[in-house]
Formats: sequence, structure tokens, C-alpha cells
Amino acid sequence: MQQGPGGSETEVTWEDQQNINKFGRLNNRFHELEDEIKVAKEAIDNLEDASNELILTDEEVVRFQIGEVFAHVPKEEVETRIEEMKEVSSKNLEKLEEEKESLVAQMAELKKVLYGKFKDSINLEED
Amino acid sequence: MAAAASSSSTESPKTTTERRGIPGAQFVEDVETYLSQAGLDVNSALGFLQERLQQYKLVEMKLLAQQRDLQAKIPDIEKCLDVVATLQAKKGTGEALIADFEVSEGIYSRARIEDNDSVCLWLGANVMLEYSREEATSLLQKNLENAKASLEVLIADLQFLRDQVTITQVTIARVYNWDVHQRRIRQTATSSTAKDS
Repeated sequence: MQQGPGGSETEVTWEDQQNINKFGRLNNRFHELEDEIKVAKEAIDNLEDASNELILTDEEVVRFQIGEVFAHVPKEEVETRIEEMKEVSSKNLEKLEEEKESLVAQMAELKKVLYGKFKDSINLEED
Repeated sequence: MAAAASSSSTESPKTTTERRGIPGAQFVEDVETYLSQAGLDVNSALGFLQERLQQYKLVEMKLLAQQRDLQAKIPDIEKCLDVVATLQAKKGTGEALIADFEVSEGIYSRARIEDNDSVCLWLGANVMLEYSREEATSLLQKNLENAKASLEVLIADLQFLRDQVTITQVTIARVYNWDVHQRRIRQTATSSTAKDS
């Protein structure tokens, strides 16, 4: 995103500057969120795979990773734990997606305002 | 530099002068007044602003590195808390916990963890201390909260810094455009006087 405002006519007011700053912040947060959402989706996929494997296995005791070690945990407890972890991860993912949507809406608003004032002198697109 | 610093005090309602050692970027209302107040010609003004931008970039690198460290530390602490909580849960049942430890890459060894009340925490710098389970939990919790609080402050600093970078970039563009505009005016002025004579 480049800022090249005010050719010879349009002056930049403090309010414009604040809008530009806000857009920059939102854009940064948007990219961070995209990464976080990717990580969260991967985590959920892993948990899905894990619970599928669990259904297939015959063993009574499963080595469940806690921290750096693999503790021997009975199968039912592992199932419960994985369910809980899936719950937590999906809620987290939902929250992230919601934040992303709100960011996109705010950025669209700001784009309208800034393009309205500066027209061609400003570029707010991804490079 | 000194001239620009004195003019920043007249514009202070529009600038936070600094935050934790990061100087605030002065917002320029009008390019012409800014240049005459600072007593700088266009090139030195541009040079000064570019230099400021570089300084901001350096600080940004440093802060980003700190942020990455903290973001790695937090899941570590959470894992430790998990382990302590598991030991706590096992205490109720009275049976020992059997766990596989990684001794070396690809090699694991089985360990039997008997019921006990204390855990040892690695404090760093080759120091490990034994704590009761409750003390360990509260220590880890405190570390986790401190790490999270530091991370928040760091993120706020980064946001402030990025704003200053944006303001400086915008100012550079405006000074440059103003200069181009001035040259164009001067050119049309000289060409019209040339035509008259």
C-alpha cells in the first residue's frame, strides 16, 4: 500500500492522516489474522485426523502428548480431551473469522472515504 | 534537526512527542509553512525525513524480533502448566503416570512418575528449582500473565511506530509533490516572461 496523496491541489488534513494511519493498522492486523486463521485451521485438521485414527485403533492405552512428553492415557480420556480441544479450536477460529470480517468492512469504509477525497493520488490496494 | 525539533513544539497537539524512546513524527499541516519554519530547503528536508524513516525501520525490526520471541515463549509456558495440571489430576487417582520421554532424536524411554507433591522448574541459566505443585502452578501462571502483558505493550508500541512511519512517508510524498509543483510554476513563469521579452 502506497500513500501518494495531494498532487498540487488536495491538501492532507490531520483527519486524513489519521484515516490513512488507521487503514494501515487494519491492513496489518488483517494479514496477521489470515496467518492465525491458517494455523487454527491446521490445528483443527490435525485434531480431526487424530480422532479418526483413535476410532480405528485397538489399543486401550494411547500415548497422548502433554507438553514435551507422551503420557500413557486410557483411550476414553484421550477421546474426551480431543473433543475438548476441538471445541476450543473451533471457537477460536470463529472468533478470528468474525474479527476478519469486521476488519474487511472497516477497511472498505475507509477506502471509500480516502478514495473520495484523494481519487488517484492514493493507492490502497495490495501490491 | 534542532530547527525541526523547535517547530514540533508549536505543532504538539497533533503529535505525541515520543513513546518509549521512539520519537513521534510531526504532522505537517502545510508544506510551505513547514519548510520555512524549519528553515530547510526541499532536499535537506527530504534527507532528514528519509533518515527518520530508516531509524523507524530499525526500531521496527527490533520490536518485531522481540514480539516473535514472546509469541514463542507463551505456548511453552502453557505446555508446562498443562503438565503440572496433569500431575495434579493423577494425584487424585493414586496411580503412577507412565510417560515416554524423548532421550534423543527418534529414541524414547519409558518413565514411571510416582505420586509426589513437588515439581522441578527450569528457570533458565542452568538453574532448576524444586517447587511444590501449587507454588509451581502460581509461578507459571504469573510468568504467563507477565509474558502476555509484555506482548500487549509491545504490540501497542509497534502500532504507534507504524503510524509514525506512515506519517513520515506521507510527509515525504507531500514535500516532494510540493517541490514538483513549485518547479512547474517557476517553469511556466520563466517561459511566459521569456515569451514576453
